[in-house]
Formats: sequence, structure tokens, C-alpha cells
Amino acid sequence: METRLLILNGDPVFQDWALSIFDLIPGVENRIVRTLSDAVATLLRENFDAFILEGEAAVAVEQATHVRQHFPSLKIVCLVPERVEGELAARAAQQNLQIIMTAGSRGRLERELGKIVQAMERPAGSASEGIDPCHSLIGNLNQFSAAEILQMSCLGQRSGRFTFKSGRGNSEIYLQQGAVRHAVFDEIEGEAAVAEVFRWRQGRFYFEEGIISQVQTVDRPWAHLLIDNLQRLDETLELVTGERRHEG
Amino acid sequence: MRDKPLETKLRLLTLQLESWKRLHDFITYGLDKAKPIISAEQERQFTEVRAYLLQETEFVFTELSVLKDLSGKAMNVLQRACSIRSIRDLGNDEIRRLEMDWNGIFTKLGVLQGQLKGQRKQLAALSAWAYYYQRFVGRPVPAAS
Repeated sequence: METRLLILNGDPVFQDWALSIFDLIPGVENRIVRTLSDAVATLLRENFDAFILEGEAAVAVEQATHVRQHFPSLKIVCLVPERVEGELAARAAQQNLQIIMTAGSRGRLERELGKIVQAMERPAGSASEGIDPCHSLIGNLNQFSAAEILQMSCLGQRSGRFTFKSGRGNSEIYLQQGAVRHAVFDEIEGEAAVAEVFRWRQGRFYFEEGIISQVQTVDRPWAHLLIDNLQRLDETLELVTGERRHEG
Repeated sequence: MRDKPLETKLRLLTLQLESWKRLHDFITYGLDKAKPIISAEQERQFTEVRAYLLQETEFVFTELSVLKDLSGKAMNVLQRACSIRSIRDLGNDEIRRLEMDWNGIFTKLGVLQGQLKGQRKQLAALSAWAYYYQRFVGRPVPAAS
């Protein structure tokens, strides 16, 4: 399975130092965009294993921080020409951004980028599960969004486990008496995991009645989560259109 | 295996085609009389795409060895289409010429992209050893031919 990278580079024709390295890494499919708004629009439409930003350190970290707010589980790498130190480095660490310095030898950069891609390589996805009698609700996210399904289940005061499966990975959301009790996606837990699933537009889901989580990572009422996440989704879409207005 | 010049050409070609497609979207919008509103934002985006093409076209065409064939057509399109509003005001003959020139560029680049992808596919089946051996003995290899 190919590793898909979305690369933000404002001048991909003339400033292609890193791009020329990505070109030669086997098993990598690159998608290049020139603006942040194009990047966000593309991330909303398609799944990528990582988002790579090239540019001046301050600008790259700023843009990556924006993207991080809307895509909490995405691997984000900033390729910057100079060493990042002080407040900027602290912010990058806080936002879980990986910083790589492009200055220096090509060999070192090739090794660094190769390592990033290698870390993301994963085996081909296993076949989807069949219909299990334990699954009381099964469907596709392109027909019903996660928000609609969770809203329906919470209004029905359901208790059980939702499993969402998409190209991005698997996520589980546990309900108890119509409230979200626990959510997990990859290494993310709690509200951030719920926020991640809200953006999925492709994938499958099923619900298993009666499975309760011992762990509680979400303690806000469903209505608050719904409003917050829908608002955040609007902000993400605003980033696509708003950025275009502000650029230039 | 992957060949560096071939991958570079494909990347440049993909970016160039993307810009020409976006330009065409704006031209189509400008010519669509059913869409009367042309916003300042659309004009700004149009200028941005045009700026990318103006600065990159000559370099990319040279890299792809199609400068002679396409340079004139590209300049005709970019000079005639200076804004979405100006496209709307073009006469029928000028519109036809604009579309013909755009189509000439798009067709040539599209065919070239297909050829390069074909070369990449052939090359992927070769091991590094076989690639360099074939070059050494003077047999044509996909990317070098």
C-alpha cells in the first residue's frame, strides 16, 4: 500500500529541493498544493498519511498549528531552512509537529525523509468485517455522517460501542445512557477522538449494544460536543474559503 | 526503480496541467453567460493561476522539450485572458482561438504525461542492476530513450 503525502509548497517548480527527494522514495504518492486553503480543502476530501509543509520556520509552524486544530491525528512535518529554537520550538512540540531542517547535505535530508516515510509504512488493510448478529446498527459514513448517527443514538438513550472504520484507521466511541463516555482513535482519546470522527466522510460503522467502557474520557453532555464539533467543522471550512480571501 | 529526471518531469508536468485546468475552469466560468457575477475573489484567484503559469511555463516547457511547440500558444492564451471580465468581453472569433490554443496545450501535455507514466511503469519493472546494465550496453531503457 502506498504512503500518501500531502505537501504544501508555495513554489514547487523552483524550490523543489525536498520534493525531488520525495520523488525518488519508492512507495510514496505525493500530492502538491501551493496554498494552505488548498491543503485544508484537500485534507477534507481525501486521506493522507502525513502533511508536509515547506517554508520559513515561523510561517510553517503557524500554518501547521492551524491545520493541527482541525486535524488532531494527522502526522504533520515542517521542513524549515533554519534551526527552530525557543518559543517556536516549544510551540511545535506542544502541537506535536515534527521539525526537520533542510539546510545541510542532501544525504542527511534524504535519510531523514526516508525515515519519516518508513515510519508511516503500514501493511495493506485487512478485509472489512462481515455482518455480525451482535451489530445492532451497521452502515456507511457516506450515507450518514458520524454526527447524525451519534445524535440518533444519544437521543434514543442508547448504551454500547460504536466502531468507525475508515482509511484513516479505526475509532471507537462508547455511549452510556445517551451520553458519550469514552472515545478513542489511534493514540488520541476523549473529545479530540470524537472531533476526528466527525470529519470522516468515508468509511463504515457498526454499533454493539450493551458494551460499556470502564474508562471515562469524555464528561460533557452530547449536545455540547455536537455544537462544538459542528462549529469546529465550520471553522475548518472557513479556513478553506477565508484563507483564500486573506491571501494576497 | 525510479529515475530522477523522469520523476522530475512528471512532477513538473502534473503541476503545469493542474494550473492549465484551473485556468480553464475560470475561462469556462467567464464565458458562461448564466453566471453573471464575477467576484473580486474570483479575479484574484484567476490572477494567481495566471501568475504561476507566466513564471513557470517557459521553464517547464524547456524541461519537457516542448517549448517550440507550445510557447506561442501559451502566450496567446495568457495574453488574451488577462481577467475573467475581459474573457467575457471577447468576440466569438477570439474565444474560438483562445479555446483552440488552450486545447492544443492541454492535449500535448496530456499525451506527454501518458507517455512519461508509461515509461515509469516500464522502469518500475526493472531492477537497478538491469537498468544500469542496459544503459551500459547501449540498449534503450524507458527513461533514457
